[in-house]
Amino acid sequence: MSKKKSRPARRDKRGPKTAPPPRIDRREWFTRFARGVALWLFPVAAVWLLITPSYNFILTESAESLVRLTENPSATNLGFEPEHHFLITRSDLPASRGALSSVRVTDIHFPLIMLGAFFLAVPAIPWRIRLENLGWALLAAVFFHIVLAFFWVKFTYATQLDSWSAQHYSVFAQNFWGLGKHLLDLPFKFSLPFLLWAFFYLREILPPRSTDTA
Amino acid sequence: MIGALQRRARIATRFILDTYRADRHQPEPPRIMADDKPTTSDEPTGWRAYQREIVFLTVFVLVLGGGFTLLSLNAVNDNVIVPFTAGIAKVSGITLDLIGQDVDRNGTMIRNSRFAVNIKNGCNGVETMIIFLAAVVAFPAPLKARVIGLAFGIIAIQAVNLIRVVALFLTGAYFPAFFDSSHTVVWQTIVILSGVLLWIYWANRFAAPPPPATAE
Repeated sequence: MSKKKSRPARRDKRGPKTAPPPRIDRREWFTRFARGVALWLFPVAAVWLLITPSYNFILTESAESLVRLTENPSATNLGFEPEHHFLITRSDLPASRGALSSVRVTDIHFPLIMLGAFFLAVPAIPWRIRLENLGWALLAAVFFHIVLAFFWVKFTYATQLDSWSAQHYSVFAQNFWGLGKHLLDLPFKFSLPFLLWAFFYLREILPPRSTDTA
Repeated sequence: MIGALQRRARIATRFILDTYRADRHQPEPPRIMADDKPTTSDEPTGWRAYQREIVFLTVFVLVLGGGFTLLSLNAVNDNVIVPFTAGIAKVSGITLDLIGQDVDRNGTMIRNSRFAVNIKNGCNGVETMIIFLAAVVAFPAPLKARVIGLAFGIIAIQAVNLIRVVALFLTGAYFPAFFDSSHTVVWQTIVILSGVLLWIYWANRFAAPPPPATAE
């Protein structure tokens, strides 16, 4: 008997039979969210600093594998350097030419700090769901970082090597890799944490549907 | 006798299974947030339930991509962004003079005897402004709320950016070892974070219509 009473309240067309869960005022929601972001920023930054050396290595290796998939024969080498850089070299170019470019890997993935703080700070969401959403967002971010590193290498090949670039890349390809790297490296890298946050949590701040207020 | 037992066992099994299925298909109580109204059976289902999120993200990405493509054009860069950045350098220089740094300005360059910075794209707050603009345009809100949000948002973002330029100059002058990480990681994060928090504040407090007054 008690089992039946303890079931969650059913809903019917006349609306909820039991009192709804406590609501959170919009002002209170933002205050709690902003406070949460400020508090989470430092622990997340500490974790990011700890995992950065390993993540730099993984990102460099993954980007190299992805670039090599587009080459026949494979010629790209992304040499991992201290101070969080990778150096781009090609085995089919004379060794005297040295590194073609240097990319700081931490510049690619430091927005992870924002992402972690945003996802952990959302109030009134059970921890299991918060962590699950954070996991999916991190996965998406890792894919984005690999693609961004890939575009960095292609951008270098297409636009930074003077006659070699002109010889191997058409004008359209040069513009494609140039604009692609520009868009991924500035707007989308910076807004990715917000985009992913909006994907999961926009509903929290969207105004009620017009049908509800009617 | 055996037949009767089998019949009773079948009835008991069906009862247990029905009870189990009924329990499993109980809907979870929905979480009610902010000023949401209780859900009704008229609410859209499937992808339509996420229509507003999809529209927001699509418009956001289009405005963001369009804005930055526009910025990449030389004509826009030379005639709009460079003069704008020079203006930022001027205001930053005046602020640095006010705190006794005695700087010289030349276009987008600021220098004194200890340090020099050249303010470039990425350090002028324009990226954060476009992210803010894209989010304001994509969010369902009255036009007046959007205009007010944009005006105050852009001023606030530039205020934070001014603090960044001044702080970075001082970091370069007095703590040069910290300049690089401060420039790329710390202040980039702070400026973008402030832009996003500003937008969430605007969307949460000003863009959403006030809840309708209810007569008790």
